Amino acid sequence: MAKKLLSGITGICIALLIGAGMMLAQGYDPIATYQALFQFSLFGLSPLATTFKNSVPLVLTGLSASVAFASGVVNLGQPGQLVMGGLLATLGGLYLELPALLLVPIMILLAMLGGALWAGVAAFLRRAFNMSEFISTLMLNMIADFFTAWAIVGPFADRTANSPATLPIDKAGWLPEVGGFNLSVLFMLLAVAGIWFVFNRWKAGYEWRISGQNSLFARLGGCDINKNFVTVMLVTGALAGLAGGLVVMAGPHRFLKGLGANYAWDGIMIAIVAGNGLIATLLYGLFFSAIQTGALGMELITDVPSEISLVLQAVLVLVIVAGREYLSTTLDRLAARRKALAARHNPEGEFP
Amino acid sequence: MDDLILMKDIVKVYPPSVVAVDDVSVSFRVGEIHAVVGENGAGKSTLMKVLYGLVPRDAGEIVYRGKPVVFHNPGEAIAAGIGMVHQEILLIPEYTVWQNIVLGVEPAASFDRLDREKARHLVKEKIDEFQFNLNPDALVGDISVAARQKVEILKLLYRNVSVLILDEPTAVLTPQEIPQLFSELHRLRDDGHTILFISHRLEEVLELSDRITVMRRGRKVDTVEVGTTNKEELARLMVGRNVIFTSRRKEHTPGKAVFRVHDLTYVDAEGRQRLHSIHLEVRSGEIVGVAGVEGNGQYELVNSITGLIEPSSGTISVNGSDITRAPILERRKLISIVPQDRGKMGASVNASIMENAIMTHHRLDSRFSLWKGLLLNYNQARTFTDELEKRFAVVMAARDNLFKSLSGGNQQKVILGRELMLPSPFVLLDQPTRGLDVGSIEYVHEQMLQMQAEGRAVLLISADLEELFLIADRIVVLYRGEIVADLPIENASVEEVGYLMLEGRGLQRDGQKAS
Repeated sequence: MAKKLLSGITGICIALLIGAGMMLAQGYDPIATYQALFQFSLFGLSPLATTFKNSVPLVLTGLSASVAFASGVVNLGQPGQLVMGGLLATLGGLYLELPALLLVPIMILLAMLGGALWAGVAAFLRRAFNMSEFISTLMLNMIADFFTAWAIVGPFADRTANSPATLPIDKAGWLPEVGGFNLSVLFMLLAVAGIWFVFNRWKAGYEWRISGQNSLFARLGGCDINKNFVTVMLVTGALAGLAGGLVVMAGPHRFLKGLGANYAWDGIMIAIVAGNGLIATLLYGLFFSAIQTGALGMELITDVPSEISLVLQAVLVLVIVAGREYLSTTLDRLAARRKALAARHNPEGEFP
Repeated sequence: MDDLILMKDIVKVYPPSVVAVDDVSVSFRVGEIHAVVGENGAGKSTLMKVLYGLVPRDAGEIVYRGKPVVFHNPGEAIAAGIGMVHQEILLIPEYTVWQNIVLGVEPAASFDRLDREKARHLVKEKIDEFQFNLNPDALVGDISVAARQKVEILKLLYRNVSVLILDEPTAVLTPQEIPQLFSELHRLRDDGHTILFISHRLEEVLELSDRITVMRRGRKVDTVEVGTTNKEELARLMVGRNVIFTSRRKEHTPGKAVFRVHDLTYVDAEGRQRLHSIHLEVRSGEIVGVAGVEGNGQYELVNSITGLIEPSSGTISVNGSDITRAPILERRKLISIVPQDRGKMGASVNASIMENAIMTHHRLDSRFSLWKGLLLNYNQARTFTDELEKRFAVVMAARDNLFKSLSGGNQQKVILGRELMLPSPFVLLDQPTRGLDVGSIEYVHEQMLQMQAEGRAVLLISADLEELFLIADRIVVLYRGEIVADLPIENASVEEVGYLMLEGRGLQRDGQKAS
């Protein structure tokens, strides 16, 4: 744990230094740039609240990918599951007339249902035709993309809008701000806590983890790995769908063209950077959100283009993923050296 | 005699803190066969890998031909004349013998083309020089394991290596093939080669070598001349106590039939028939051994029992209930399984010891359930792991450590413990002592006798005839997917079973056609 934290923090520092070097090379002032970046993302209640709100889709899709990958399920369908969840939640918000206390939970359930159903298609294809979910989830992303694009120009289109979008959802389905923070942040944290609990305390979570490491062992041990596969697909689909629902309910309050943006791909990237750790996914998700959020503000007060955040993210991914292995082997090697020296100085002592 | 190689104060620590070789000094002389023996995890392979440049040392010095040397990789060691043959044979099956041998140092014709004629000729010369009975044009995929091993040795000789390191060369050979290897090794020694030989089979070591270095827990215990020692002394040096070598079997009468295989047939996806009408019965309190050269249907038999493959026809039953097509969890209520590959099937090496210990129990034993079986009771899991640690004398630092941090013997103890703590009437053991050291093997054997005493039915699949004769009440021989013999141990001899394994028919029945 301490080692992971150390390698994460070292990686972030090195990446920021490399980013600074790049800004210097372009003639920008890195200190002022970083100051602006974090001023608009971390320092102060409002920037922090924005960072948290923007982190919701990153963290949830990242969590979806982390849980799937750690269970040995190659679910790469978060982009499609996100938009399907978002669309289904939007439909709930458009056609149900209920008080907020009922509508919000129902829309959230619909979002999760949408994502789970879409992931369920891939799970079904795997179970019925032995089709690799690696391919089918990727392909289903395309279908979901075009399906939602059709839905918002066709049957659910807002004819008065300038760009493809649905009508706004019922006000009762808008997530309010509480103490500056959007309520979607609370739902995200609940989802993190919930999935952590399932993954680390439920029997099912135990079986998922073991299957992810060695599915043959799990199978021989009596775990129903087929059932577990389907469950993991549905659960991770639901997480990605939830991301879509919360984006709609917290932000534009309608399904717009391009709603999914790059959230899910960033989320998958975050899962990889986090090494499929659930808490690590939350932390890296928040950090990536801070960079993305701050970049927009930074552009306002410095000459540095906001695209520098993309460069920073890319450098972060490379440094952290490459550095993780390197750092841990280096630390191991240092420990081995110490041990060897101790063994030589104390040749009669029993080694532990 | 001169010291050819002197290893001084060698220390190797596998990160983070496994001291594999702990301040070992040993010398090897010109023209000797020097065995390095020890239990698994004693550090003998690591010591040799340090010499060969495969594993960097953390401290110490190697003097070779009077000069201190550092080999950064095996290539440098081979260039200096030191070569190693690994346990697993690393050849290209689609290539011929000569192609495999010249691979990497091919004689070149003009335009850097491979000079096939010359290469083949050079290899043929080497084969003749060392009187290896090999056909240079045979495909490696077609020749026996023993011949492949010769190719490996020849590969090094072709590179003019004068020091040969062999890592458990007999582990892959049948009993009949070992004498030939030994006579070839003796001839190489007489030619002036130095042979370093890793083993934990004491008889072989005594037969083959001139000097023996015994290692225990990373340290060198002693180097002894062969003439001045015997098997019992070596065993004592290796494990630090006396090991019993006589048959462990006790007189007893087995009870009712527990495990039954009736007319089991398996045809694989390519249409090859792997199992031919197998009939097998194991009674309670009985240990039945399955002998056979690997690849004669053991894999299919085991997987049909565990449920990883579905047999084409026939039935398998335990205590009268038919499990031929039952889900694996249903089988696990009746069958304990110790699979042959600890890392692939027996455990998840990157999970904690505790997570490995509770597998299967977590589904079958209600004490691991909370909230109507939704939650895993981690308190009970901890208690259970401690119980297993105590009952099976597992040496471990903490139950939350990774499974792979355990030594091979302790890994097997955890697996064995987990399986024996299931209340199943039938135990399936697939090569349960493979790769274990003498002490751990003895422990596994003791546990088998314990199962027998508890009245369980035990099916033991083993490639080690000595083990089968030590433990089993009955031996069945698998040959090309058929059971060709079913012998009570009193009526069986090692030679006969060995012959049955290779030929599919018995010695005395020569002339009669096998069915």
